[in-house]
Amino acid sequence: MSLEQFKNRNVGEQPYVLIESEHRPKSGMGRFQRVVNRTFKKELFTGLYVTMREMINTLFRGEMAAVKYPFEKLPISPRYRAIHDMLRLLESGHYRCIGCGLCEKICISNCIKMDTRYDENQRKEVTEYTINFGRCIFCGYCAEVCPELAIVHGGRYENASEQRASFSLFEDMLTPIDALKQQQEFDGFGAVTPNADNAIKKTPLAY
Amino acid sequence: MEIVNLAVLPEVTSAGVAIKAIIILAIISAVAGFGTFIERKVLAFMQRRLGPMHVGPYGLLQIAADGIKLFTKEDIVPQNANKLIFKIAPSITAATAFIALAAVPVFPDFTIPEWIPLLGGVFVPSIAADVNVGILFILGMMAAGLYGPLLAGMAQANKWGIIGSARTAVQFLSYEVVTGLSMLAPIMLVGSLSLVDFNNYQDGGFTSWMIWQQPVAFVLFLIAGFAETNRTPFDLLEHEAEIISGFATEYSGMRWGMFFIGEYANMITISVILAVVFMGGYNDLGFMAGWFIVVFKIAFFFFLMLWVRASWPHIRPDQLMWLSWKILMPVAVVNIVITGIVMMI
Amino acid sequence: MYEQIAFYLFSVLTIGLFLVTVLSKNLLYSMTALAAGMVMISGFFFLLGADFLGVVQLIVYVGAVMALYAFAMMFFDATRDVKEKNPNGAWIFLLGGMVALMMVLIFSAPIFSENIQAIYPSIAGATNPQSVGLVLFTKYLVPFEVAAVMLLVAMISGIILAGKKMDQSLTTEDDVLNTEIITEEDDK
Repeated sequence: MSLEQFKNRNVGEQPYVLIESEHRPKSGMGRFQRVVNRTFKKELFTGLYVTMREMINTLFRGEMAAVKYPFEKLPISPRYRAIHDMLRLLESGHYRCIGCGLCEKICISNCIKMDTRYDENQRKEVTEYTINFGRCIFCGYCAEVCPELAIVHGGRYENASEQRASFSLFEDMLTPIDALKQQQEFDGFGAVTPNADNAIKKTPLAY
Repeated sequence: MEIVNLAVLPEVTSAGVAIKAIIILAIISAVAGFGTFIERKVLAFMQRRLGPMHVGPYGLLQIAADGIKLFTKEDIVPQNANKLIFKIAPSITAATAFIALAAVPVFPDFTIPEWIPLLGGVFVPSIAADVNVGILFILGMMAAGLYGPLLAGMAQANKWGIIGSARTAVQFLSYEVVTGLSMLAPIMLVGSLSLVDFNNYQDGGFTSWMIWQQPVAFVLFLIAGFAETNRTPFDLLEHEAEIISGFATEYSGMRWGMFFIGEYANMITISVILAVVFMGGYNDLGFMAGWFIVVFKIAFFFFLMLWVRASWPHIRPDQLMWLSWKILMPVAVVNIVITGIVMMI
Repeated sequence: MYEQIAFYLFSVLTIGLFLVTVLSKNLLYSMTALAAGMVMISGFFFLLGADFLGVVQLIVYVGAVMALYAFAMMFFDATRDVKEKNPNGAWIFLLGGMVALMMVLIFSAPIFSENIQAIYPSIAGATNPQSVGLVLFTKYLVPFEVAAVMLLVAMISGIILAGKKMDQSLTTEDDVLNTEIITEEDDK
């Protein structure tokens, strides 16, 4: 859809159709005529045509809507707030977290707990970092407040667990060092989805 | 009408009839099971889904999985139910469906080749029981089949069951009238009640099909066939949205499965009648052999039932009765009268 | 031999099922046994080579008449037993005696059967439905037509009795009309 088309919000030029409610027959003869019309005005056959069209589209034109879920997953929006990821610096491979503690402070459900100390280079080192996913409400404040883009929301949305409180440790969320090249940069909140253009529907605001 | 010379045909032995009965039982029950798979697949494709996919290639072994599930499921009999009637009701549905198939000619006659040991040379007739009144026998057995849902609903001490069985009685009785009357006009033309005679009447190729002479009877019988087999526009007996599962509410396990097999066998019976009576039966069509083309026709009508189920909504019970008594039955009577006048002229 | 086996099998089954019909106190058992007995009776017709009558027995008695009984049964609790009242012993004695007499007559009937000749012998070459039709539309034309007229009368009176509100539809657009009727009834 081009931009000009999207900006055109003039209802009169768009293919909206006003559906008038059907005239209600009063007499028995009128009802009989309505039955005849409904039978022979191809309404029933239109229904048959629609299902057959869908079947042909599904089988031969690749318009299958079903996704074999556990085996294949749809790409989720970069805005989606799933289980957190801890990112690494691309140059050195060291984790980005500087132990500032802002995420712990801002967490409104008090699910992030962290402990730090100064290492031998007088640099903050994260010794303990856990997120209680039984409490986390996935509000996204931690990722928003992080000055280093170290804690972000990842794509793991299958968070069913056997226990009510399932803690996640720092090492679990940290990008594995051998998968550093596959690490995705976080687009941040307000990022548009990859298929945003297709998902846009014109709404007639001029009503 | 071509007169079949009876002397040419080999003698029908009891072995041949037994083989035919086994063929019918084996093939139709297997096909009825396979029909559930086909139904799920076709409905899925029409709704842009995949259907069963995981048991076997493309879910083909789903029938086996369903069968194991049905056989091993606990067979629950409610405490206040009439236990004997509750237990025999499903077998009535399955049995009548298969007995009706005894009088249906599915494939042409054939003789088992001589090289097959033990059975070589046995002539297998096209019909297991060639009663002279085949078409009436089928309609009668399908009429007797209404006792399955009826007794099941009344025996289970459940209000949904009672409503389901009341609807069974009303729907089957009304549509029996339509099936009988719509079938009467082709019977008048053929002058026989045997389905073999119906088949032989239409052996003149595509243009001699009964559907061109009796289009109204064809449409009427098609509609009434949907009602008799309890298929979707008229499946009020177990309308989930209204009466949970109707007559089958309290059933589980294999007893429920027998209702299912009976329904699918009835669908096949109606498809076969439509193919044999109206669409030229198992006569050869052009270069295509009769046994091949009849399977194709039966499959088409089976598919039509699934197609309609995917496309059209249910109708209400009062609309069902209205359709039967105020539209279909008068049209059928008028059709008979017109057929009679044309035949007299 | 098959026919004899089948005959005795059907006889035992028919008598047994009809005994259940009479003796059972449960409505559902009675009805099921009656329907099954009707099916067994059609078996006799098939044994005698009267396919058409057998099928008609199936369609009419099993398919239609019994289903009407079943429909009437919807008004009762099918799972409960019926309490029978036996008011008068004399009646039972009389009826039982008559049945016994009938049984004696029926069993002694084969003595006279050699002298019996069919008044309307079946026509050679005519198939089953044809011979039924021939007899029905020649010899028994008047009773047949009278029965048809009686059925027509019954049908019309049934429609008149049941169809007082038949021209009213239950569809949504007539909801206004229906609510008016309800309010009128409420006023009364």
